[in-house]
Amino acid sequence: MLDLHRLQVQFKDFGAYRSLEETRMAVRLERALAALEACDGCWEELRALTEREKPGWLVPALRESPAAVYPRGTRPTPVTVVAADGSQIYPDRHVEPTCFLLNVSRIAFQYGTHEEPLMESVPAFRYRRDEVDELADEVAVDASSEVVSAFRDEQELEALLETARRARVEGRPIVALADGTLIRWMLRAMRNRALEERLLARYTRLLAEFHADRLPIASYISMPGNTEVVNLLRLHRGEHRAAELDEEASLVGLVDRRLFARTLAPGERSAVFESASHIQREYAPEIRIHYFYLHVPHPVAPEIARVEIPAWVADDGGLLDLVHAVVLSECEKGEGYPLILSEAHERAVIRAHERALFYELVERQLTTSGLPFTGSNKQASKRRPTV
Amino acid sequence: MTTDSHAPETAPSASRSTAVLPLAPIAEVIESNTRSFWAEVYRGMETPAFGTWVRVNQPTGYELYGLVSHVEVGSVEPNRRAVALGRTEDELRREMPHVLALLRTTFRAQVVAYREPDGRLRQTLPPSPPQIHAFAYACEPEHVCALGAPFDYLRTLVSNPDPAVPVDDLLVAVLGTVYTAQAHPEEGERALIRAGRVLSRLFRDDHERLQSILRRVV
Repeated sequence: MLDLHRLQVQFKDFGAYRSLEETRMAVRLERALAALEACDGCWEELRALTEREKPGWLVPALRESPAAVYPRGTRPTPVTVVAADGSQIYPDRHVEPTCFLLNVSRIAFQYGTHEEPLMESVPAFRYRRDEVDELADEVAVDASSEVVSAFRDEQELEALLETARRARVEGRPIVALADGTLIRWMLRAMRNRALEERLLARYTRLLAEFHADRLPIASYISMPGNTEVVNLLRLHRGEHRAAELDEEASLVGLVDRRLFARTLAPGERSAVFESASHIQREYAPEIRIHYFYLHVPHPVAPEIARVEIPAWVADDGGLLDLVHAVVLSECEKGEGYPLILSEAHERAVIRAHERALFYELVERQLTTSGLPFTGSNKQASKRRPTV
Repeated sequence: MTTDSHAPETAPSASRSTAVLPLAPIAEVIESNTRSFWAEVYRGMETPAFGTWVRVNQPTGYELYGLVSHVEVGSVEPNRRAVALGRTEDELRREMPHVLALLRTTFRAQVVAYREPDGRLRQTLPPSPPQIHAFAYACEPEHVCALGAPFDYLRTLVSNPDPAVPVDDLLVAVLGTVYTAQAHPEEGERALIRAGRVLSRLFRDDHERLQSILRRVV
């Protein structure tokens, strides 16, 4: 139960705090814009600086001026666009035996043709000791949510690769679109080092297969919270030399998307940056993740999205333009978010009633086999509150 | 869903059908009771017209006959509604191919007759409803002709109408099917007259109603 009266007081403070923060950010944004303009002509020096200094913040490697802006091109027609997305039913600590479910969608559209779209989802029920064990954290007893999420991400990438291979048409350009980041930084948060390495090796192997098959892959991040380009500007401003962080004079707290919201016109993309995420050291050079920001046009709510691509796509101007044009066209048709990713989500999502049905089926299957199914009393009490 | 995966059924029996090619099901039963069933039309199949006959075979050997009394087109997923997109069908196919793939056509058929395993035709409700996921086939003219006099099913339609269906309009459509199923116009007229007589008895003195139906048939 939520005591709304007590919450009301906190909301007032929240409003006051936010307006103060906004004023601060507006000042920082002006400073950042000035810094971006200033380093436009001398970006090579800045690149040298990023290589020399170790500021302790994540700073991208530069390939061109960070102030560079590129207009949109025309999307080719016909073109193949494929996508995959996944969802899961996490292992429930209150249910025995331990099991979980992954549901991964596969979408392929042959734009500009009358060919039938591919839209499907494939569930994978995991319950075997080795399957659950492989994902079990050595510290926690149950397969933790992070591990299942990591496993789902891997399944999504595998489904994307298979779908791209299946949907590819000779002589027709293709783009494989994923949702979220291609940088596996979240694996670092896991406590199981050996598992982390296994998952990462499998993930990068899949990324390498996209390269081997010349299947350009890109991922789309809506409302990115990254600050790498702003960090770069902080370096340019010499903030790393300050003995103590002067909040008022710094750019700290400003996110990249606010900066690019001012420099990019609708449909334009930023320069390409190479991510310096530490986990990237595990990626082979040709699949190291690069990214650009994109102004996604929308009559009411335009936004700056982040698009990630592997190095081999970033190095190929034609592929880069293809990804730029395809993502924009997707966003325009999807009213601000890639249409094909919305469809991939719709196919993958497991709704609350389906989750309940899943457990019912698990229970029924066990009961039919004369086996026990244990849902804890705590879980049962949540379902049936009494007065 | 395509029809490729469905084993085509051969024509009901040599004596009742002259069809040489195996017939493909047009739809699949998704909800059923002894009075009616809902079926989803397979992609690429022609939707059966209002007032036409469809049939469903039971594993028990019964063949159920239903009259298409309501047709609906809508989203496959209950939580997604179709919205205006301002694009032609060609543009939709080229640029938003999922939109048409997410639409489906369903119809409700009122079951008013069935054929027993021994071949006997009864114009009354069947002993059991069609099975869910059973295939529905469009009735050939010979099936429709067999469902002729004494037209007892017309009584079922009139005395126990589906509340969601304007019964007179359904009768207009049914009588049209009675007429067109016959090979020759004269036979069609004879069948219509017999059906008309049944209706006139059913409506007793309501000549106005009968006239209004017959006027719309011819």
